[in-house]
Amino acid sequence: MNDKILIALKSIGKNKNRNFLTMLGIIIGIASVICILAIGDGFAHTVTKGMGSHNVRNKVIIEYQAMTDYNADDGFTPNDASVLAEIPGVDHVKLSSSVAEAGAKVQYKTKHASIGLNKQPKHLKLIKGSYFTMTGDSNGAYISENLAKQLFKKNAINRLITINGTVFVVQGIYGSGGIEYRPEVYVSKTLFKELFASQISKDEAKLYVQPNANKKQIGKTAVKKMKKMGEEKHAATYKVSHPDQVSKQFTKILNDITYFIAFIAGISLLIAGIGVMNVMYITVSERRKEIGIRRAFGATSADIRNQFLIESVILCVIGGLIGILLGYILVAIINAFLPFKAVITTYALILSLSVSTAVGLIFGYIPSNKAAKSELVGLLKEE
Amino acid sequence: MLKVTNVGKTYGKFTALEDINLEVNDGEFLAIMGPSGSGKSTLINILGLLDQSYTGEYLLQGKNHKEVSDNRLSQIRGDQLGFVFQNFKLLTTYSVYENIEIPLVYSKKEQRNKRELVEDVIEKVGLKGKEKNLPSELSGGQQQRVAIARAIVNHPNLIIADEPTGALDSKTSKEIMDIFTKLNQDGTTVIMVTHDSEVAEYAMRTVYIRDGRLYDDEKSVKK
Repeated sequence: MNDKILIALKSIGKNKNRNFLTMLGIIIGIASVICILAIGDGFAHTVTKGMGSHNVRNKVIIEYQAMTDYNADDGFTPNDASVLAEIPGVDHVKLSSSVAEAGAKVQYKTKHASIGLNKQPKHLKLIKGSYFTMTGDSNGAYISENLAKQLFKKNAINRLITINGTVFVVQGIYGSGGIEYRPEVYVSKTLFKELFASQISKDEAKLYVQPNANKKQIGKTAVKKMKKMGEEKHAATYKVSHPDQVSKQFTKILNDITYFIAFIAGISLLIAGIGVMNVMYITVSERRKEIGIRRAFGATSADIRNQFLIESVILCVIGGLIGILLGYILVAIINAFLPFKAVITTYALILSLSVSTAVGLIFGYIPSNKAAKSELVGLLKEE
Repeated sequence: MLKVTNVGKTYGKFTALEDINLEVNDGEFLAIMGPSGSGKSTLINILGLLDQSYTGEYLLQGKNHKEVSDNRLSQIRGDQLGFVFQNFKLLTTYSVYENIEIPLVYSKKEQRNKRELVEDVIEKVGLKGKEKNLPSELSGGQQQRVAIARAIVNHPNLIIADEPTGALDSKTSKEIMDIFTKLNQDGTTVIMVTHDSEVAEYAMRTVYIRDGRLYDDEKSVKK
């Protein structure tokens, strides 16, 4: 086997230019596969991470939907929560808001804007200023890059702004162009609760269920009860929410896109494979004398077939490895422009190498077989 | 060593060999002489198990290999036979060492260290120090020595040489024939095709072939 690999490497090295051009198809194909998978995996990872809070394994979520905009700020009340908590199988109930921000008006000198506002998150990447955890009634605020541009000509840091009449100091600016939605302003947790939380309607009731409880039944009962006893029943409708379905649909769309691009990459690999087949045919016809000599000195047909197959596979695997390297470089470049991080997984590497090997085997087989089946006396007449 | 009985070979309507009968004993040095197109090469292709499409019977070491699988034939060629061709048939991009090593790559024989075997034959044919050279860097005589080294590296019982001096001058031819003589004296059977009567004189026995027929089988005593 080692001998055959050495012979193959020698033969590939002999026609560097020709073989590099043949490999180019594989290199481009594999680099595309790496990029596609890296972007797909990175995107899926970001989305899944974002959907982490929607883990619905142990809870049933009931949605409150206002019938008109007029009473949009209403929602579930503590009394509603008590009613829901009494449903058999429900352990406890938490009220929350699907919209995690409060509406407010911000003003700097004569300029003002309507904004969404929330409490300070744990992780926030600032592009200006410095991050620290705002405690107690700290009146610091982080504002988005967009809002900073809107309100201030130049420096925004340490300027005083008023939000719904309360004065805040701008402590930092964060990027707002990413895939993750962010409100325009973050303030400390304490001040958010004190000043703005009341504005956010509790339009979600999370019913944490006991193990083995029938979630479907609980959902039905909960909606029925709210329709009958909900404090805002005249102004709203209630229904069971299915965020896992949204996630499933999203994954499906993502998969469809991946399959489509993989199909395109597949076509480019097919063309590359035809190139490999062509060059292997040329190699076989150029080396008829060598085949004859090897056969005369003991090589079997299988030895000859394997020799050329190994050569074809090595050609493709070298192409694949260069493709992976190119893929890494391209992903690094793409990452500079993407709002999320494309990641190259081990799975992508294994898949790329497997695809390269398969292309070598499939497209090298027919020429290799031709070499193996050639008539010996004819081969030995070659000069 | 081998026995050929009523062997014939045709290419379409053309008869290349007809009714060939020949017996070669172990340790013999046989020359097959004849003009171009007489069927010499066709005959040694059959003797060397390179061509299996013939009529009649051919026994090598007492065995008929006509129905043997292609793989087994390759194995027999690799282990029992050694070929030397007129135009050397060396791989031009391989070094002297790599060319000589070829039969060992495929050999199923239990061998001692491959490197030692190659180095031994390189010394035997007088090419020590040329191991890393490419064939193009060698003279015709040296290239034929490489071809002989390749033929004997696996210690075959029978060496088949097709016009081994055909591309060489008379002085170099003599050197090459001395090597064949030495190999024969060491016990290897040699069958050589030639159209040069001087070269044929190195053989213990000469047979003549003309128009596909073997017509003379006189033993000649080597001077």
